[in-house]
Amino acid sequence: MAHSPRKGSPARWAAVVLPPLCLGGLMAWTAGVFRPPSISPSHFMQRFHNAGALGDGFRRAHAKGMCVTGWFDPSPKGQALSRSGIFKGEHLPVMGRFSLAPPLPYLPDNPAVARSLALQILSPKGDDWRMALVDVPLQSMRDIADAYAFFGAAKLDPATHKPDPVAVQTYAVQRPWLKTAFEQAKAHKQTSDLTNDSYNSLDSFILTDSTGKKTAVRWSVVAKEPFAPAEGSGANDGNYLFKRLVQTLDQRPLSWDIVATIARDGDPVNDPSQPWDAADQKVTVGTVTFTKAYSEDESPCGPMVFDPTILPDGISVSDDPLLALRSSVYMRSYATRSAEHKAPSMVTPGDVTNPTLTPDGKGQ
Amino acid sequence: MSFSQNTGHAAPFPRLSILLHWVMAALIIVMLFVGLVMAHDSTIHYAGLFTLHRTVGFLILLLVIVRLINRFTNRTPTLPDDLPAPMKLAAHLSHILLYGFMIALPLVGWAMLSAGGYPITLWGGCHIPPLMGFHPHLWGALRCLHSLLAYGLILLIIAHIGAALLHGVIRRDGVMGSMLGR
Ligand code: HEM
Ligand code: HEM
Ligand code: HEM
Repeated sequence: MAHSPRKGSPARWAAVVLPPLCLGGLMAWTAGVFRPPSISPSHFMQRFHNAGALGDGFRRAHAKGMCVTGWFDPSPKGQALSRSGIFKGEHLPVMGRFSLAPPLPYLPDNPAVARSLALQILSPKGDDWRMALVDVPLQSMRDIADAYAFFGAAKLDPATHKPDPVAVQTYAVQRPWLKTAFEQAKAHKQTSDLTNDSYNSLDSFILTDSTGKKTAVRWSVVAKEPFAPAEGSGANDGNYLFKRLVQTLDQRPLSWDIVATIARDGDPVNDPSQPWDAADQKVTVGTVTFTKAYSEDESPCGPMVFDPTILPDGISVSDDPLLALRSSVYMRSYATRSAEHKAPSMVTPGDVTNPTLTPDGKGQ
Repeated sequence: MSFSQNTGHAAPFPRLSILLHWVMAALIIVMLFVGLVMAHDSTIHYAGLFTLHRTVGFLILLLVIVRLINRFTNRTPTLPDDLPAPMKLAAHLSHILLYGFMIALPLVGWAMLSAGGYPITLWGGCHIPPLMGFHPHLWGALRCLHSLLAYGLILLIIAHIGAALLHGVIRRDGVMGSMLGR
């Protein structure tokens, strides 16, 4: 056998070359080569770019924002639902980031735009709870395919610098399962300010208590400030929402309740586009209080990521497909922007030290 | 232990070396696919894949330490005498590089998630301490390095498998057998 005459035959060479080539080819295929474009985190980045994300070190979504710091005080009811170290009763530090939802970092504040709040609560034992919430009542997408189409429809028309209303309309019409979500968004009463707005996780999470019992919940961060309508509340200053938040914090701390809506049998846990039963029990697990504002250019909340799947023991993700998607896409956005040189944020350190409203119309 | 050096019957690697080689080869190939799927596909299984990736990544880091200790406390079979010197050099360099990548990839993965402020939890809930504090710029750079290292390892493994098959199928000089235990 050792000296076969057919040592260098084509068949033998094929046995040498083909296996490694096949392995390499399979890996390239997995990485998206030789494949019709499938939905990947970089395709989402492309769609955010088309929807107005600038790059320049900004988040690819919720690009305009400002940081706040304060405290979290749990209620005993939180401890009953989750064994997490967050709810053990300690007064814990919180870092938050208020933002406008669009991918546009220089969007002037206006009453029509959706707003958002991200939170990180840390315990001394290393429990790390991150949340990213928006002020709309239901998610206008139910799965990865919807999300991809949704951000495709958000593409800015080069002529108007606005999304094409026909594309947005088509997205909604083609998806009858989102009817309630769009109706509720339309009926939603926007508040005058960031200070009296309430923010929702939309996606569901699973709480585990000390006996191992699991409860599915949706989170809301509910304002303690009284409601005032958005109509007529605008000001001719591109940063009026953020400056008015700073002005209030300069006078007094601002608090929000963290409220868990408890799922009952039949509430869709894996679909953030569907409403839950209006009579579901609501439990306040604690209160966040903000005391101080910072420009995101001078606070660690600027560069960090509020990935909603970063959770302490006792809180875990549900089987909602959008949570999986968000984790991977936030990571890609976070990695890309972290490697870029950051341009100054629209809410500058100067706006935070002197939040007087001026009709500057910045960014228009 | 002594190893004969004739071209047809290179002595095999010690049993533990062979076991470690094949277990780690399988784990590394799985890791490469899992990493590629995580980074290039939007899948509802992301969280599970990521937990698997972190857990197996640390397992590989542990195994490579065992493997290096084993490697330096055992003699390694020599390559056939008739193998041209440049090929011997290529074989040695590529093996050193393979070890380098096996150590660097999990270390860079660990460092990058630490720099990015991600908590690192393994399957079963085991919590790994961060290698460094929060350095977002470093996170961006290391995330890029992790990809480059992974692509480098893929090319190296392709060449390595090709070379192993060249020994086993064309030269039939016993090198392949030395890693199969024959
Ligand atoms: C339930 C649904 C969602 C909510 C409540 C939500 C909320 C938020 C919030 C509040 C932020 C800002 C976080 C911060 O201040 O750092 C954010 C960032 C972001 N969101 Fe979402 N989001 C949702 C769904 C999605 C989906 C489906 C995608 C796309 C696949 C997406 C893509 C992004 C990206 C790319 C960022 C920037 C991440 C970064 O660079 O840090 N979001 N989201
Ligand atoms: C993920 C993949 C793999 C890695 C990381 C890897 C790594 C290594 C390393 C580091 C060595 C050197 C051992 C030493 O001298 O200490 C080695 C030897 C060897 N490997 Fe692999 N290997 C992989 C896959 C494979 C495969 C798929 C084959 C077979 C087709 C193979 C065949 C061999 C052979 C025959 C040797 C012995 C070379 C000699 O005698 O010096 N390996 N491998
Ligand atoms: C031998 C060990 C490892 C191998 C072979 C490996 C391989 C890979 C590969 C091929 C990718 C995809 C790169 C790309 O195409 O951009 C990847 C991504 C990644 N790896 Fe690893 N890795 C290893 C260890 C680790 C460890 C120990 C960690 C963390 C503790 C880690 C964390 C990550 C992360 C976070 C990503 C990015 C996923 C994404 O972009 O969604 N890796 N890895």
